[in-house]
Amino acid sequence: MFSASSSKSNRKVAPGAAVAAGLLAAFTTTAATIIPASATTLRHNVTVSETPPKGSVNIFETGSTLLYPLFQLWSAAYHQEHSNIKIVPSGTGSGTGISDAADGIVDIGASDAYLSSSQVSQHPGLLNIALAISAQQINYNVPGLNHTHLKLTGPVISQIYQGKITEWNDPAISKLNPGVNLPADKIIALHRSDSSGDTFIFSSYLSDSDPNGWGQNIGYGTSIGFPSISNALGETGNGGMVTGCAATPGCIAYIGISYLGKTQADGLGEAMLANKAGKFELPTATTISAEAAALEKKTPANETLSMVYDSAAGGYPIVNYEYAIIPPKELNNAHAQAVKAFLAWAVDPKHGSSSSFLNQVDFQPLTPAVAQLSLAQIAKISG
Amino acid sequence: MAVATPGQVPSVPAEPPALSLYEGGHGRWPSWLQPAVRKISNNGLRWWTGFAALLPVAALIAIIAVLAVKALPAIKYNGAAFLTRTTWRPGSTYANPVRTNGVLHPVGVSYGAWPLIVGTVESSVIAVCFAVPVSVLAALAVVEKLPRKLSNAFGVFLEVLAGIPSVVFGLWGFVTFGPIIARDVAPFFADHLPNIPVFDFFRGDTGSGEGLLTASLVLAIMIVPIVAATTRDLLRQVPRLPKEGGLALGMDDWEVSRKISLPWIRAGIIGASVLGLARALGETIAVAMVSGAVLGTVPTNLYLPFGTIAATIVSQLDGALSDGTGFAVETLAEFALVLGVITLLANIGARLLVRRVAGTALPVGRGV
Repeated sequence: MFSASSSKSNRKVAPGAAVAAGLLAAFTTTAATIIPASATTLRHNVTVSETPPKGSVNIFETGSTLLYPLFQLWSAAYHQEHSNIKIVPSGTGSGTGISDAADGIVDIGASDAYLSSSQVSQHPGLLNIALAISAQQINYNVPGLNHTHLKLTGPVISQIYQGKITEWNDPAISKLNPGVNLPADKIIALHRSDSSGDTFIFSSYLSDSDPNGWGQNIGYGTSIGFPSISNALGETGNGGMVTGCAATPGCIAYIGISYLGKTQADGLGEAMLANKAGKFELPTATTISAEAAALEKKTPANETLSMVYDSAAGGYPIVNYEYAIIPPKELNNAHAQAVKAFLAWAVDPKHGSSSSFLNQVDFQPLTPAVAQLSLAQIAKISG
Repeated sequence: MAVATPGQVPSVPAEPPALSLYEGGHGRWPSWLQPAVRKISNNGLRWWTGFAALLPVAALIAIIAVLAVKALPAIKYNGAAFLTRTTWRPGSTYANPVRTNGVLHPVGVSYGAWPLIVGTVESSVIAVCFAVPVSVLAALAVVEKLPRKLSNAFGVFLEVLAGIPSVVFGLWGFVTFGPIIARDVAPFFADHLPNIPVFDFFRGDTGSGEGLLTASLVLAIMIVPIVAATTRDLLRQVPRLPKEGGLALGMDDWEVSRKISLPWIRAGIIGASVLGLARALGETIAVAMVSGAVLGTVPTNLYLPFGTIAATIVSQLDGALSDGTGFAVETLAEFALVLGVITLLANIGARLLVRRVAGTALPVGRGV
């Protein structure tokens, strides 16, 4: 510490040191007020090149059946632009997407569910990158009522899937739909038997809207223990849910919005769901965007966010980010660069996220701030 | 060669005889190498045959050992009550995992094997109940009654049916069988059976075509070739003397079959049925496609969806991999061990049954 012998020099240095310390303190406090702490504003735009490296690369993608139709469109279009890159998509369920990406078996895993903290701690460097905003519909097959949009709420659906409401003309459902002639048919509750991001979103919605019932007893996840009731049926994939519901009069099913064309072609009914404000909404571009816009500021840097049952007034309650799950280390550098270029192209509103692609699957593009977060994560991909 | 002159014994050639009597034997090798070559040739066969014989044994031990090691944490956590529990709760995979007794698992996880054990045994037993009478009667018709050409054609059909992959059966059952059962067969039985408690299993909710009855029928069709072909070969081995003796006594054809031919091959029919049962117990993909894939519930009647162990392992494996703690995969390994034990018990039971039955075969001949 300070000795008596250097006190003379200290007396000359000490004022200078005090001034320097003062300036430093002033600088940092000013800087703290100028640079915002919010996660969604960055001081400069992240750019990632959309041009892949030379040399032919096959990018393998597997996972969510909700994202699968869009990946098929993207794969064809990207291959047309860059014929040396071939993207091979497959629809196997979000759980498979996550586990295959975690094991490094595929280049991109698609998932409607974000990563759990135990998955991230088991595989450090596993990323979930938001690509688009999608939603989930509740479809039903009640002969004669498939063109009326029946109104349902989270607690009612929770009771149906727990076997407490077994018929369509139950008082709880008639109360929500006054004037509609509901038949006394049995409700067949369809669920996904494979590990599914749609199950994750659906069970999150039921947990949030019925916290003391579903939230306490069953919870949420890509694979959950659906209550074993006599009128339950398990199907595989969104496609299986559509065909199963079309073949089963009295069914109710949760299906991703990218299958809206198929559900309408098969004549399935679409339910209007009550959002947190109590208003009944259909999943349209307006209601989905309203929900997503309200959640833009809450999205953290790693984009892990549940968007279900939020408080947007005109919002549809079951909305989610579609994620690309990226392994901690891609196969090699060529694959990493190709994946980065493709994903940057995918989130670009002029290319992959333009309405010409997203309208075909009824998705919405990421808001600009969230697209920036995605690009920041895309820049971290290595191989 | 020494020329034999009178009075002289031809001398023995100086060269030692070849060590093998056949062309191209070890005699080709230089003499200093021949002892080693002989030893390698003799022992080589022993090594190769020994290795080949050990391979299946080692494979079986390796399979059981790896499964047991993988399943050990799940066995420790699930306990003995696992076999009688009916729950299926993967737990909160998105909450932090916890450690109990040294086993890492998600919070609130609870798996039970009872519905799957019941489903496996029920579907296989019902399939055997359908398949064995049909196969035995068909084999009787083929051996006793049909002319040679038709009998050979039947054999061809059986072999083709046996060779069809199970996934084809599953797809066919899903597309054709299922709807027929849902629309016509199940409602007929459910509505017209009398209201007695013993018939409860056959009445009630008729489901959607994917269930116990559909799966059992598909399994039965898969078992028929095995049982029919074996029974047909066994029937051909029944000696003619006892049968002709029966006819001479005044029995008609049907009585001869019932009282002489079939009892003669009783043990063989049991053996064939167990072969079929073993195939049904392990049948995976066909059952997965037509069983309706529900977890955690024992079907209360014949038409409702159910699950078997094999079908559940295949349909839940991908989902199990997304459990970050690895507990779900360990539980699936435990399920595989349970299925192995069930199949083993079925085999042991069959052996005991055959021994008992063969011991009381007709004194004139031997039971097969």
